[in-house]
Amino acid sequence: MVHALGEIHRTLSPSGVLIDLRPLANGAPVEIVSARETLTAGRFEQTPQDIRLDEAADAAIAEAGSVERFSHEREARFPFNYYFDSPSELEDWAREDWGEDAATLSEEARARMRAAWAVADGDARLRLSMPMFIARWRRLPA
Amino acid sequence: MTIQRDPEGNELKQLRQMVEISGRRVLEIGSGDGRLTWKYAGLAREVVALELERDDLLIARVECPVALRRQVVFIRGDSIHLPFRGAAFDVALLSWSL
Repeated sequence: MVHALGEIHRTLSPSGVLIDLRPLANGAPVEIVSARETLTAGRFEQTPQDIRLDEAADAAIAEAGSVERFSHEREARFPFNYYFDSPSELEDWAREDWGEDAATLSEEARARMRAAWAVADGDARLRLSMPMFIARWRRLPA
Repeated sequence: MTIQRDPEGNELKQLRQMVEISGRRVLEIGSGDGRLTWKYAGLAREVVALELERDDLLIARVECPVALRRQVVFIRGDSIHLPFRGAAFDVALLSWSL
């Protein structure tokens, strides 16, 4: 990745900006949301691989800063929300999109989610709030 | 109802708070199927969207809105060897790809 950041540095104009936008491995909460209420149903568990990927991304961009290619200007965190019509739709999507080895709901969290869903309001949907990270880096002169 | 992704538009809001896109030349790395590209490309002067996965790239090319076809170019490749001249872009966006 450090080589890639070198290439990005080369292709950016002298006052160019690098934006790093990515999801974080922090356990994403699952909520049951209706017009009347929001209930926390569970949380996806991070896998060691997710945590390693986060750490590798942080290390790569920090190294780019340390070799004076980019200067960190600011960063923010925000939720990227997915909405589902049922627990099975959410779980099918997570398996397909993230893969079998990625973050999962524990059996306890799944049972809690399904129990809460069974008595949820008619207008309820399931919300998965993916924690996101965005940072701005200014290109430094070569 | 189908699965909804970021109906609040948080991603675009945060992106626009972080960087001025209007009139800029943008290189998006890891553009996938163009999901995020479509949201901001109309503001940019031009967007080069780089994606390694052939299937995603195909979807992006097919689904590119007509209004954006002159502004957005999709290229298959990774960020290790960027096939562009120096200083070609004002903004580089690592899109869920670091």
